[in-house]
Amino acid sequence: MVLSVAVIFADSRFDYLDRVRYSLGLLTAPVYWLADVPARVSYWIDDVFVSHGDLIEENARLREELLFAQRELQLLAGLASDNSRLRALQEASAEVQGRVLTAEIINISSNIGSRRVLINRGAQHGVHEGQALLDAHGLMGQVEEVLPFTSWVMLITDPRHGTPVQVNRNGERAVARGSREGIPELELEFVPDTADIVEGDLLVSSGLGQRFPKDYPVAEVTEVIHDRGQPFAIIKARPVAQMDRTRHVMLVDLELDDPSAQLESGAAPVWVDSGASLVDGQDMEPESDTSASSQAEPVVEAAAETQEQG
Amino acid sequence: MRKRSSASWVILLSYFIAYLLAVVPFPEWALNYRPQWVAMVMIYWTMALPYRVGIGYAWMAGLMLDILEGSLLGLNALALAIIAYITLSLHQRLRMFSQLQQSGVVLALIGLHLMMTYWMKIAAGQSVASNMLFLLGALSSAFLWPWLFVLLRQLRRSFGVR
Repeated sequence: MVLSVAVIFADSRFDYLDRVRYSLGLLTAPVYWLADVPARVSYWIDDVFVSHGDLIEENARLREELLFAQRELQLLAGLASDNSRLRALQEASAEVQGRVLTAEIINISSNIGSRRVLINRGAQHGVHEGQALLDAHGLMGQVEEVLPFTSWVMLITDPRHGTPVQVNRNGERAVARGSREGIPELELEFVPDTADIVEGDLLVSSGLGQRFPKDYPVAEVTEVIHDRGQPFAIIKARPVAQMDRTRHVMLVDLELDDPSAQLESGAAPVWVDSGASLVDGQDMEPESDTSASSQAEPVVEAAAETQEQG
Repeated sequence: MRKRSSASWVILLSYFIAYLLAVVPFPEWALNYRPQWVAMVMIYWTMALPYRVGIGYAWMAGLMLDILEGSLLGLNALALAIIAYITLSLHQRLRMFSQLQQSGVVLALIGLHLMMTYWMKIAAGQSVASNMLFLLGALSSAFLWPWLFVLLRQLRRSFGVR
């Protein structure tokens, strides 16, 4: 009795027991491996017993998708060069996207009050705490606890998790917190009633808080309620990642080349702030398509960084 | 088959299967109904072999469950140890009970276990308050108890675990 209270206290307040947890985590790996067998067998059966016609069909579909993706890539190349030129003008450091590690979701936490998943990559594969988890469509969560061969990932829909986001259309910033009502949704916290956020807006990660890589799609706004009795607008959003359907995910490192250098470069030019608001006010409004806003985004983003750090 | 031996491996195997069942993925709508397999197996062994499987075993089993679930270390351990203590003090009467009465006791014990882990998780900030539907897990556990009881008793007798 006393022992368990002591253990609970030690684990919740200090990190003495991390080693114990880590080494005992070795023992749990086979249990999860076994529990995952049915799912793997069903995937294997899907792979093996697939008809020739289905394969041809899938091949054609994939080729089509590749064509579309390549077309978009070509557009992107132009945008990227524009972007880098604008960045060079601002002397902002080039965005380096880190290492990508693929993983599979092998289990879901059975706890009602939290939303977490277990992935089949752990410390042995180079996973570390705070890494971002993505699927093919968008941001899913971040690594919360690393075990030898597996890791627990807290999803962005967990009620204890807040994701710094911004509206892709106009750069409006907010924090998206997981819904408390047990449904896989996000709520934007403390957004003033006058904020320009409408239904259908795409929310992307803003990179503030330096946990998640910037500009990955996070959620789509599904509902905006302006209640005069409430100080803030009630805004709900649905994650674009396929939270409960996907199995294949990837882990992405956020590579900050040098935090102190970035702080200096971010804090120094105060004039960027006024320049950005100029861009924000004049140039952005008439253009509403996403390609235009993504060109103007670095400026807005730099302003955001100065605001946070100043 | 080793007759009349201590056959600890039967107990360990039953625990292992209980852990497996505890982490097998469940559909979202059925999460509230998830039976507490480890607690049920623990109650059975504590009741059947009180001189062998006591509070210490329950504590270890709970610790293992904590690591498996990734929850706070010692949380399930404490809850299971308390359940084991109650079972130990009741085991003479429990053995005399009919299946239905036993199920009633299991309902109360698992309900207590769920309540305790729920409170502790909230107190430790590992979870947020939700509705009380998670207590349905106690109901499904009590419903499954008679079958589990018969199965484990059969196992215990055929392998001579004592």
